[in-house]
Amino acid sequence: MGNRFAVCLSLLTMAALSGCGDQRILEKVGFTQTTSYDLLPDGRLKIAVAIPKADPEAELSRQLLTTTALSSKEARINLSRQTNLILVSGQMRNTLYGLSLAKSGLWNHIDTLMRDPSISPQVKVTVVNGDAESLLKKNYEQHPRTGKYIDRLLEKEAQEQAVPKVTLYEFARNYFDDGVDPVAPIVKDDGDSVIVDGIALFRDDKYAGRIEPGDSIIFALLERDFKKGEISIELAGEEGKKEIVMFSSLISSRKVEVGHGDAGTRTVNINVDVKGSILEYIGRLKLSDDANRHELERKISEHLSSRGNQLVGMMQEKGTDSLGIGMYVRNSMSYAAWKKLNWREEFPDVQVKCNIHVKIKDYGKFR
Amino acid sequence: MKTEEKLSPFHSVILIHMIQTGVALFSLPRVLAVQFGTNGWLAVFLFGAIVAIHIWLMSYVYRHSGGRSIFDILEQSIPKFVLSPVYIGLICVWAMLCCLVSKEYILIFKMVAFPTTNPMIFELVVNLLTLWLLGMGVYNIAKAATVFFWFVIWMVFLLTFFYGEFRWARLTPFVFQGGELKMKELYSIYAAFFGYELVLLLFPYANPQTKLMRAAMAGNGLTVAVYLYTCLIAFGFFSLQQLKEMLFPVLDLLAYIKLPFIERIENLLYGFFLFTILITAVMYVWSAKEVSRRMFPRIKGGVLGFIILTLAYLVSYIPDVLSEVLDWLQIFSVIEFWIAFGLPALVGLVLLVQRRRGQPSNG
Repeated sequence: MGNRFAVCLSLLTMAALSGCGDQRILEKVGFTQTTSYDLLPDGRLKIAVAIPKADPEAELSRQLLTTTALSSKEARINLSRQTNLILVSGQMRNTLYGLSLAKSGLWNHIDTLMRDPSISPQVKVTVVNGDAESLLKKNYEQHPRTGKYIDRLLEKEAQEQAVPKVTLYEFARNYFDDGVDPVAPIVKDDGDSVIVDGIALFRDDKYAGRIEPGDSIIFALLERDFKKGEISIELAGEEGKKEIVMFSSLISSRKVEVGHGDAGTRTVNINVDVKGSILEYIGRLKLSDDANRHELERKISEHLSSRGNQLVGMMQEKGTDSLGIGMYVRNSMSYAAWKKLNWREEFPDVQVKCNIHVKIKDYGKFR
Repeated sequence: MKTEEKLSPFHSVILIHMIQTGVALFSLPRVLAVQFGTNGWLAVFLFGAIVAIHIWLMSYVYRHSGGRSIFDILEQSIPKFVLSPVYIGLICVWAMLCCLVSKEYILIFKMVAFPTTNPMIFELVVNLLTLWLLGMGVYNIAKAATVFFWFVIWMVFLLTFFYGEFRWARLTPFVFQGGELKMKELYSIYAAFFGYELVLLLFPYANPQTKLMRAAMAGNGLTVAVYLYTCLIAFGFFSLQQLKEMLFPVLDLLAYIKLPFIERIENLLYGFFLFTILITAVMYVWSAKEVSRRMFPRIKGGVLGFIILTLAYLVSYIPDVLSEVLDWLQIFSVIEFWIAFGLPALVGLVLLVQRRRGQPSNG
């Protein structure tokens, strides 16, 4: 028995002591929460990190360090020279990329982040319309610390489909997939707040265009199945009057159909079924009347479908297959034929038709 | 009293499964993607089937062995001095596999959690645990394996976490397109299934109630099921090209898990895999010990185990970075592959000759 006890004890001691090699003491560690990247005109990177302070006595709730360097890991060494804390990236939540850098390509930076085992694949990828560092540096008085503020903002908006949820994992996955291009949410400084400014479309890893914030929900309808989301629609009514519909609690499912024509032409139908509640309607139709309601459903469906077509047209023009239509085209043909096809060149010429079909679940507690 | 104890069928199933499961799982989806391309996860079936056929062939040996150990059978017909080099070879390979498997696990752990700590300290701790487990004998190892099994198998349920991002469209309808088959790599895929061959050494510890061969089949079936499910999820969660670029996709899967109250729990989850590694390691060193007892019958088993582990520990100082360990494992996988096929074939052949000559099969 005594023998066993000795073995146990020595094992425990050794296991515990071997942990002393790489110590991390909370007070001595600076957990990077957000990192921003900007490209300077001379080709160097401007990198800033926001570190929330654990010390309750500190006057400021965060530390912000900035440096310029050739690579992000070199920047980390530079940043480390400015602080008494050991910089670690294990609790990083968000990375902000200035538009200048997004245009020149993000992959090298994402690759670095993916390679580091201490960085979570759930770190968000966000494009800043403007200078990322100045956005991160700014304190927004009415809101939590800027890094946390942007992180929570995006998280909440993603839940309501106003922006897609884009993390290192999603970006890398779509970057590598030959049938879809990556996207990322865009934010910008709006005086007293940070505001979501649409969706950035990437061609490979380079920023190629953006979707207006108003169209983000249309993008969501065409891109994925989801529950939860809302949209406000302005319909053309009779005699030039506008009708306004607020369509909420959306549940949407989509199917993509690919057809192959005789002359090698391809047609793609994106069929979306959306159910939702009407929370606001300003117009002449009576929602409690079945015929009226169906007419409204038809009108909304037509309206959304045409906006969908416009959106796809815009993406075809930019040459970014952000909806992943290529995935469905690929899956509808043989491997050899797909490999022979240059999807990048083919995509703008594909006939894409969006059929968004709307059903009104309920229209509130008022007739 | 103790000698009458026999392996129970359930413990044997779990034991075989636990020896099979190991570090190879972490890179398996990537290797399958690189080798087979699209829908590479289906290849798990192929490998599982090869193993099943192999176990079926081994059951021939088992049926005709009459419960004798394979060494008894071999030594009955082949002089010991001819067998000695074979025995030494087996000891070396199995002892090295034991150490390399645990060292690979530790080096990955080190990369993730303790980048600058000397891995040999961890290796020593794991080896001490292995030695301790080894001292308890094979019946207790099997029981420990069953307990460890429950520590690990629940993680399969974590895979439901990936249903949200899983897309069938990402799997593509193409089967095995865009891969580059390399013989060398095929061995390393097969290495993910290694462990079942050690069932050959369990003959004397089983009785007809154990249904040893059926247990081996079931254990392998369980391994195939777990691998298949994990790889399917990986192929639908990551895009193919991405999967090809990832060194340890299963580790990335673990890293993705985020609970409302906690995230970055991959280090904790990775820790649970130590249990499967421990069983794999202990069974290889146990096998090496069984062989060495044939060569040095006068030395006590415990002492032999200690000597083997110490030597293997010293040798495992040589490959000190992950890529070197992987290279070594590759080489030993190839050797083990041929042992897995050659050893039962040899025993089968000897049995056939013995039956022809009318020698008693019950020793």
